[in-house]
Amino acid sequence: MAISDILNAVVELDRIAVVENVKTAIIDGVPFDDILNKGLIASMDVVGERFSNGDIFVPEMLQAAKAMQAGLEVLKPHLTCDVLTQKGTVIIGTVKGDLHDIGKNLVSMMVEGAGFNVVDLGVDVDIEKFVSLTQTHNADVVCLSALLTTTMPTMAKIVEAFKESGLKAKIIIGGAPVTDAYARQIGADGFSDNAPGAVELIRRLIAA
Amino acid sequence: MNAKERMEAAINMKPVDKVPNAPFAEAPVCHYFGSTFKDSLLEGPEMLAAHMKSLEEFKFDWVMLGMGLIGGIIPEALDCQVKYPEDVFPIIEKTSVFSMADVAHIAKNNMFTQRMENFLDGVRLLKQELKGEVPIACEYISPFTIATRLRGTNEIMNDIYESPELVHGLQEAIVPLDIAVGKALIEAGVDYIFYGADMECPVLLSPKHYKAFVHEPTSLVCNELSRLGSKVLPHMCGDIVKTGIVDYLLEMDIHGIMPGNLTQEKVLDIRVLKEKVGDRICIFDNINPNGPLLIGKPEAVAKETLAHLNRAKGMSGYIFSTAGTSSPYTPKENYLAMDKEVINFQWN
Repeated sequence: MAISDILNAVVELDRIAVVENVKTAIIDGVPFDDILNKGLIASMDVVGERFSNGDIFVPEMLQAAKAMQAGLEVLKPHLTCDVLTQKGTVIIGTVKGDLHDIGKNLVSMMVEGAGFNVVDLGVDVDIEKFVSLTQTHNADVVCLSALLTTTMPTMAKIVEAFKESGLKAKIIIGGAPVTDAYARQIGADGFSDNAPGAVELIRRLIAA
Repeated sequence: MNAKERMEAAINMKPVDKVPNAPFAEAPVCHYFGSTFKDSLLEGPEMLAAHMKSLEEFKFDWVMLGMGLIGGIIPEALDCQVKYPEDVFPIIEKTSVFSMADVAHIAKNNMFTQRMENFLDGVRLLKQELKGEVPIACEYISPFTIATRLRGTNEIMNDIYESPELVHGLQEAIVPLDIAVGKALIEAGVDYIFYGADMECPVLLSPKHYKAFVHEPTSLVCNELSRLGSKVLPHMCGDIVKTGIVDYLLEMDIHGIMPGNLTQEKVLDIRVLKEKVGDRICIFDNINPNGPLLIGKPEAVAKETLAHLNRAKGMSGYIFSTAGTSSPYTPKENYLAMDKEVINFQWN
């Protein structure tokens, strides 16, 4: 059983095959880190690239993420806690007053799929919650999402609240109405208009 | 030409005396001129007052309504739990479709709630006051987008693979309800149905799934509303030309397309769209409502507006607009700067 079989099964959205291939790889003695990094995580990079190129769309992204998660569930008991958290912790949520979650969920799944520890705060998250849970989890990056132009100003307030609290976590923003210019204007550390781009941005920020 | 004549001329590919000026201005209008934002979106007399003040100052070539309708009134009539904050758009707090059993229930709903009647009253009051000189446009949503409101976007997107019969069944239930509301809007005085196809745009859904799940219910609604006398103007984000979605849109009885930008930095060039549609239908421009208009200075807004107008100069069937809803918090001086450029532009 080749690692590429796991990767290909995720890309082909075949959840059953992913689970079976991961089980087989474990039995065959394939190193767990390879199954995780070269199989499952690498598959989401391929999926992300295909999404960015317009080869696949949201339903396929969601199905791929589910397939990857199914494989990860099989693998998890064999992994040490370090393996799952060593890349960094990312907090994500849709800001207060906004209940839209599709973009946030896509980013959440892609970031988790890339091997980061993700704390998803859900939607309609107030400023205090972002601040306190960033402290609690010692998060490296915080992702703010907004679909409504009416809730975008809350992003600026969160950036301000992080400054006042002395938090060092990087803040990145996204969502349909959000732009790079807006990110710069409010002092955020970055912006992405798609989920794979958010993963790349988080990798860069954490590596910096 | 008055505003109605100008808009009709552009929609029918006839010469215009100046650029038709039709931005998605409802939210700023309600914010600048409304007694409260919420009431101006939803309540007849407040809608009337806000839009009449706006026309006096901005001299737009249409009145654009509907954010309260598509975001709140329609989902609420279909059993969603909706919150109506004072200063932002309605928010769906709880969806209403969890299984096929809920679909059967949805089909029996009465769309004409008190909130719907209050909204329709606003349309009637405006129609009376505008005396046919300024057309009324109303945002509207497709059965697929309504389905995502009722079921949840992620859920519907997953259902496409895991429960396709629910996606079809839910839209089948929605189609007659969607048509009933559209008919009531047209009877109340709406001239243009601005048909928002938000969740099936080619940024989110593949052309293959568009054809399999969306095209038929959308065609049923658009064709019927057109037959009832409205001009139907689909609004869709993403590259509708490259993905071939525009070909599906052109199979329907539509009168124009307004390309939006779901991701604001990837904007469809309307010249590319024009090349595709020719003189078959009109095209609304798509200036970014979240760019300089929202966060820049008036000078930058004027520059961007002028760039759009110059690129479109000479194009038949051109109507100036924004690529979707403008934020209520758009600085008024920016909106005035955009408005001034459009009004003063030497089109001929």
